[in-house]
Amino acid sequence: MGIEYFLQQLVNGICLGGMYALMSVGYSLVYSIMNFSNFAHGGVIMVGAYVGYFALTALNVPFLPAFLLCGVGSGLLAVIIERLVYSPLRKRHAPSLYFIISAMGASIFLENFVIATIDGTPRNYPPIFDNRINIGGISLGVDSLLMIVVSAVALLILMFIIQKTKVGLAIRACSYSEKASTLMGINGDLVIFIIFLMGGVLAGFAGMLYGMRFIVKPTIGQVTNKSFVAAVFGGLGSLPGAIVGSVLLGIMEIFVASFNSNLRDLFVYGLLILVLVIKPSGLMGKVVEDKA
Amino acid sequence: MRKSMKKLIALTLACLMLATLFVGCGKKDDGGSSGGDTIKLGWMGSLTGDQAAYGTCESQTLKMMVEDLNANGGLLGKQVELICYDTKGDAQEAVNVAKRLCAQDQVCAIIGPNASGQCIAIQSVLDQYKISDMSTVATNEKVTMQDGQLKEYNFRVCFLDPQQGKIAGSFVYDNLGFDKAAILYDVNDDYALGLKDNFVKVFESKGGTIVAEEGYTAGDTDFTAQLTKIKEAQPQIIFTPIFYQDFIMIHKQARTLGIEVPMLGGDGCASEVLFDAADAVDGSYVINHVSLVDPAGDAFRKEYAEKYNGAKMELNGYMAHDAFLLWCAAVEKAGSDDPQAIADAYSQVEVEGMAGKIKISAEDHNPVGKSGCVERIDGKNKTYVFETYIAAD
Amino acid sequence: MFSWYYIEGILIQSCYTLLIVLGLSILTGYTGMFSFGHAGFVCIGAYVSILCTMAFGLPYWLSLIIAGLAAMLLGAGLGKITLNLKGDYFCIATLGVGEAIRLIFNNLQLTINVGGKDFLLDGAKGVASIPLKTTLFGDWNALSNGDVGTFLSTLFSSALFIVIIFLTATALLMNSKHGRSMLAVREDELAAQMSGINTFRSKMLAMCMSALYAGIAGGMMAHYFGYLQPKMFLMTKSTEYTIMVIFGGMGSITGSVLGTVLLCALPELLRAVGDWRLVMYGLAVIVIMIVRPKGLMGGKELPVGRICRAVGRVFTKKKKDLPPPDGGSVGEEASV
Repeated sequence: MGIEYFLQQLVNGICLGGMYALMSVGYSLVYSIMNFSNFAHGGVIMVGAYVGYFALTALNVPFLPAFLLCGVGSGLLAVIIERLVYSPLRKRHAPSLYFIISAMGASIFLENFVIATIDGTPRNYPPIFDNRINIGGISLGVDSLLMIVVSAVALLILMFIIQKTKVGLAIRACSYSEKASTLMGINGDLVIFIIFLMGGVLAGFAGMLYGMRFIVKPTIGQVTNKSFVAAVFGGLGSLPGAIVGSVLLGIMEIFVASFNSNLRDLFVYGLLILVLVIKPSGLMGKVVEDKA
Repeated sequence: MRKSMKKLIALTLACLMLATLFVGCGKKDDGGSSGGDTIKLGWMGSLTGDQAAYGTCESQTLKMMVEDLNANGGLLGKQVELICYDTKGDAQEAVNVAKRLCAQDQVCAIIGPNASGQCIAIQSVLDQYKISDMSTVATNEKVTMQDGQLKEYNFRVCFLDPQQGKIAGSFVYDNLGFDKAAILYDVNDDYALGLKDNFVKVFESKGGTIVAEEGYTAGDTDFTAQLTKIKEAQPQIIFTPIFYQDFIMIHKQARTLGIEVPMLGGDGCASEVLFDAADAVDGSYVINHVSLVDPAGDAFRKEYAEKYNGAKMELNGYMAHDAFLLWCAAVEKAGSDDPQAIADAYSQVEVEGMAGKIKISAEDHNPVGKSGCVERIDGKNKTYVFETYIAAD
Repeated sequence: MFSWYYIEGILIQSCYTLLIVLGLSILTGYTGMFSFGHAGFVCIGAYVSILCTMAFGLPYWLSLIIAGLAAMLLGAGLGKITLNLKGDYFCIATLGVGEAIRLIFNNLQLTINVGGKDFLLDGAKGVASIPLKTTLFGDWNALSNGDVGTFLSTLFSSALFIVIIFLTATALLMNSKHGRSMLAVREDELAAQMSGINTFRSKMLAMCMSALYAGIAGGMMAHYFGYLQPKMFLMTKSTEYTIMVIFGGMGSITGSVLGTVLLCALPELLRAVGDWRLVMYGLAVIVIMIVRPKGLMGGKELPVGRICRAVGRVFTKKKKDLPPPDGGSVGEEASV
């Protein structure tokens, strides 16, 4: 159990955290503006993974176009869900409870729609990057490396959009107060359209990376529960929080699992409860104020 | 105006629901009245959920066989009607389904479900209705016996977890000559637990050592933490009593971590899907009820693939096939579709199935003289290589 | 037609599900707190009750009470630490607790030795051969055999009897000062606090009641299936219960009854549709949220007493019997 072992586990944790980050950013984006937990996000990721699978196997396209196709497919799906499911609720100013229920309904629908139309058989991506590289005693799969790089690049681009562009300004304004920004002439509908599109595209990427590394099946949407915990841990509604929370959770999870693998999930949910009790706004979340 | 529209929609929805209620009743009524000239066979299993692939294969195999049987004149001169229900892989749903099959559809026997937990759960329903269940791949000991007491209406066509654990243990120690093994298993799964316990027992009693024992929970997809630990322990083989999707993922991750030792999976691992990850799983072993490359099954596999758009035959299909043959033989032996007579006949018939000669013991309702087949996965040619047969008893 | 045994099974299931949904209705429908972890309370109740009957040999009715109290205790403890959380955060906390409870039972290997008999809680493997004690109306055979004691104890612990008791209790509670406080908390917590309501106490009461109901229902469930496994209490179960509350209508007892009975029966009726069953279930939830978000009853009660007299007018003239949360219910329009 030398330093190599420790570093290897650290790398494992960062890989896992990178994937959580891609997923939890989508949650956080939606939460920052609409103040509800979008549980349909897992379904969008799952569909992204399937799009990638069929693009690679049935259409025989190379990796990069397939990867982009995933983003487009999932982005479209997220927008469609927003239009059909959340938009009517939004128009009515329904309480966030209804959004969560609808999101749950959408996620049940997506999961079972895939089972009914495709089937429940787990599918395996054709090998794309199956080699591995060794640095010292640490092994790192090329797909894992790719996952970290893609996560980092995608998240950097996202941060750039949000911090430096006009659209980003509108998003930040809306997340501060949707009502006030709408009054200031920001098109709230458009902002929501954009965040769902961005969240969806990232979900598509996450889906494909997930599928390459693991497996594609209709129930992978449930894995996103943990990325949701990561988002809470980092602070719901905060993008940097979601990313930091995800990576930290990934690393902690790996170390707990290497200590006693049975405690892994118990630790994740225990951490969730602990964070909520001690500091509900998470590591970097905005302070929740009682809106009277 | 809008309000009345909404009300109208709500009303329509409510009416639709009521309508489905009556339609449901009506349809079942028809089925009941024509019950005299068909023999009803029930099947239950997972058509949705994590194990959907197994269940789908079982039900499709049975549908295919029932169609063939009916085309050839049916059974006892009657047509066979197959009623399939989904259990969602949930024990609670299984109880509901069993009640529906027994009380509502009044089947003469049930085949399935494909998981031990569900088989154990439905026992009280079977006892109440005196309708027998022939389970396909439920390998848990408690399925047919509990605390030394025989469950009168539970049967199975597969071997048991202890037997499978024993096969695994002796294969690793005797055939491969390894004495250091690691285990990676799903702590949530009674199947994995049963296999693991019995493997450890047999392997250690022979003189082997378990160098690492790691668990995970169902739904986990990242095994790198456990695998890194296993790598440190330097086993000669990793025993993985789990289902094939996890088997594939563990292989992929182990290979990227630089673990090159083979793995040994139980009967839940054997699947055609393995070959999609051919490079990773190359060289590992699976225990099986039947040899998946046995030429005797060629015609069967071909018919299945033709009927279902090239679908791959899973192990469950073979077991469903054998269970169905047993049921046919039992009905013929009983000479009627009386559930009790069929239950009694199960232990008196003998059929030649995909897994060899099958005879159900009257003492414990398990098949006698089963042997397990160990096969090596040949990733390059995408096929299995038959290794050896090991007697289960 | 449907055979009685099959229908009885669905009815018993509807009964204990109704009990859970009623409890959840107090928490979500009346007090406005959303729980994703109710299956955890059911899980506690189920395990405690089988411990009572199988390890300690206590009678079934007593085991139900103990199960309910155990769940309530847990609910109180949980409430103490999470009730001050707002909105989504509370629901996330319950999600965590629900999953944690299930995972604990998953890892729990416990052998209890009482009077020389071992009772084994075997983690994920589950517990089989639980005595089937849950009846719909009680054991009438015992009455005809002259065993009045058994008959009475089974009657009073029968699913229907318990549900009726708790239906009445819920209706009474909701009509009381406490019930109105809960409604006030749901509509506007700040305003409720300003008008002198101890909002924490109201929420705590709702939490405890709701856990009590779930615990008892868990006991009934365990003794109905005869088989118990932590896998039966996944998060999706909690979601289903919440969907039933919403489906029936927030803040309506008769709505909860309708929602439960329909949604319990619906999957059974749709069984013929096979693969598409759950697809339609998901779709139905979305459509209801869009078309009739207040649920079937929309915060109103079915005027049970007047129904016979006014069958034709039920849909045009709405009677307000029990707590009439004014038009908006759940702050539909009022949320700022």
